[in-house]
Amino acid sequence: MKKNIVKIFLIHICALVSLLGWTPLAKAAPAKNVVTTKKITTTRKAAPSPKIYTASKTITTRSQLSSALGLMKSAQYPQAANAFLSLSKRGDLASERSQIKYYLGLSLMEMNLNQAAAFQFVDVIKNGDQRWTRQAIENLLIVTDRLGDETLLNYAIQRIDVNQVPTQYRDMLYFRLGEIKHKAGLHQEAVQLYNKVGEQSRFYFSALYGRGLAQAEAKQPDLALQSFKKLLDTRSTAKVTDTNRVAAQLSIARTYYQKGSWEKSIEAYSSIPRDSVMWHEALFEKTWAMLRAARFRSTLSNFQTLHSTFYEDAYIPETLLLRSIVYLYICKYDEMEKTVGLFETQYGPIYAKMNQYLSQNHSSEAYFQEVNKAYITKKDPESKKSFSIPYNAIKHIAEEGDVRRTYAYLKKLSDERKIIEENPNLKSTPVGAYATRIVNNRLKSARSVIGDMVKANLLNMRAELRDLNEQASFIRYEMINGKKESLKKRITGKDLAEDGNSQNQDRSFYIQNGYEYYPFQGEYWLDEIGNYHYLGKQSCE
Amino acid sequence: MQKTEVFVTKKVLKFLLSATVLVSGVIAHADNVDVPKDELTQETVYPVFDNPVSVKNRNVQDAGALDIGVFGGLALTEPISSTTKVGADINYHINYFHSVGVFFAKTSAGLSKDAQGLKDQFGLDFNRAPKQDYSLMVDYNYKAFYGKLSLTSNGVINTTIYGSLSGGMVTYVHKSYPALAIGIGERFYFTNKLSLKLDLRLYAHTAPIPFKSGALRNGTNGTPVDPLPSYDSFEERLTYTTNLELGLNYLF
Repeated sequence: MKKNIVKIFLIHICALVSLLGWTPLAKAAPAKNVVTTKKITTTRKAAPSPKIYTASKTITTRSQLSSALGLMKSAQYPQAANAFLSLSKRGDLASERSQIKYYLGLSLMEMNLNQAAAFQFVDVIKNGDQRWTRQAIENLLIVTDRLGDETLLNYAIQRIDVNQVPTQYRDMLYFRLGEIKHKAGLHQEAVQLYNKVGEQSRFYFSALYGRGLAQAEAKQPDLALQSFKKLLDTRSTAKVTDTNRVAAQLSIARTYYQKGSWEKSIEAYSSIPRDSVMWHEALFEKTWAMLRAARFRSTLSNFQTLHSTFYEDAYIPETLLLRSIVYLYICKYDEMEKTVGLFETQYGPIYAKMNQYLSQNHSSEAYFQEVNKAYITKKDPESKKSFSIPYNAIKHIAEEGDVRRTYAYLKKLSDERKIIEENPNLKSTPVGAYATRIVNNRLKSARSVIGDMVKANLLNMRAELRDLNEQASFIRYEMINGKKESLKKRITGKDLAEDGNSQNQDRSFYIQNGYEYYPFQGEYWLDEIGNYHYLGKQSCE
Repeated sequence: MQKTEVFVTKKVLKFLLSATVLVSGVIAHADNVDVPKDELTQETVYPVFDNPVSVKNRNVQDAGALDIGVFGGLALTEPISSTTKVGADINYHINYFHSVGVFFAKTSAGLSKDAQGLKDQFGLDFNRAPKQDYSLMVDYNYKAFYGKLSLTSNGVINTTIYGSLSGGMVTYVHKSYPALAIGIGERFYFTNKLSLKLDLRLYAHTAPIPFKSGALRNGTNGTPVDPLPSYDSFEERLTYTTNLELGLNYLF
């Protein structure tokens, strides 16, 4: 509440100052805070001859502008926005258009119509009126950050002078700039920008994470470890499933993996709490670490979890091939054959369906509809049958970072449209219609972007599956070869007693329950996930 | 969060395949399995899933199945008549949670140990009083829990615990009475089909009271002989009986 009062107060001061005839650039002092602004305002209020900042000489025009500002001052934002919209269309006020658009943007911002507001600020920036550009960029930065609209955010950031941005927004700016540099592969610059984000900022943890990630990608694992450990220390008092805390643990594990420190990596992966959403990913990656550490028995234990029915919706084709390779290591050819067979049975139809869908559907909208369905029906297991793209593939795509982020933006746009539609006083006004038009256009565009992303992901997955299919053939060849060698040994009497027809062979998976173990009998229990242990022996001579 | 690119690549998969021969020797003598500490459970929490369910791919697939069985029982709180009975039941499992069925139980004809003692010692012959003959009930079960028990290090059995609500007729030698029963039961599955069924039911129904003066004495040990009473002459009232039943059932 207090914050809002200060904000409204600031807007009023700004408006008053403009009406008095000062350009915003003239009053722009670096590192201003609320207290200094108040002081300036008090002084200016005492100025003897206030002038309206407008080239128009007519009293009517001045009073219309004042009236619109008055509405904004009294927090009647819909009315103010309508008035500013109407003024912005007037040809005789062309010289004041930037100012009017800026205030229109502010009014829309106050109504949480961030997308519509963003367009006003973009217009001001495009107009190039230096008196309003800086404020417009600042506010564009704020609304695009609220929306998560990366395109407009980048547009704003590329035009901003960091030193002219109010202190409270600088951390956000450094963080966003860091992200841009990071994405561009400029890791050192990204690290420097992330370092500038203050400890009190809400972007601090993300910046620490981003810094570690940039360092890891720049092949500086020791520095990356320092960053991730710092993040972990900073979040040490948070609850064990805290996103930043778990992300730090996961990143430490990944960095050790990057360094080739398999055991340390496994230890770090093991510290990730099971009730964290990242646990599944950690388990999968831990399996790789175990494999690289030649802990084959442990690897198979994890596969028992990863290939359980609980993960029937997971898209993890390479794990099946990996499992078969582990069986190859320990000469369990029958198990290996079953696993390769499972890969072919599960992912063969998925590949065929992907192919079919890609050849039959070309519009972005079709791809968007599929992923949208995946988001909507995530909690409804029955709806899985209604997908044209196999559910585990579309679910995998829906969880991709780029798709998720754009979908979050789409959700915000939908919320914005809802605000307009649920407010009849706004909906029926020109500004309501104008904002609806903007939001609808953006919604259409966002849907198209998501559709294209889905298609691109699907194409990548198809290529990956094609590659994995080839590898499956190689694995089969190795299996046949292994079987042949095994038969030779059997004929010459060198085979191990245990080896042979495994139709009745014990799978040898056990489940740990406290200090007791009991055999796995085919059903999977939620509390047993992650507790399966392969206790079988290798069958190589 | 973004993911570093250092993991899980196809190249690694290829590398692993080619390295098979080199590393197979490393594990050639891993006979004694000692599960490392970092693989042992340290948490009692469950993993997070979009649609969390307790069990997947359950062993006992009773949904849509018929369940037929035989059982024997004891009326734990019956003082006079024989407390044993035998019967058969048939249930249809609508899904994993609900089942409906019928059961029939034939009560044995004799007297309880206490009633036999009264007869031998005091000449009170409760055979003169009407006794329960059989019961036929419609049964509904709500299977609240499905689980498993680790009995030995290698013996694991599945189990269901359910609540039951039954309604039907309890027939005495001379008359039938409507009856209600509520109870709790458990099935222990020795295999995915065969189960041991244990039921504890509380029956409520009107029943004749066997204690009637001037009707039970049969002249043993010098007691006078009462005229043989008609079954209808016995008073009736609402009675509650606790029954324990044990049976074997098979899922079809």
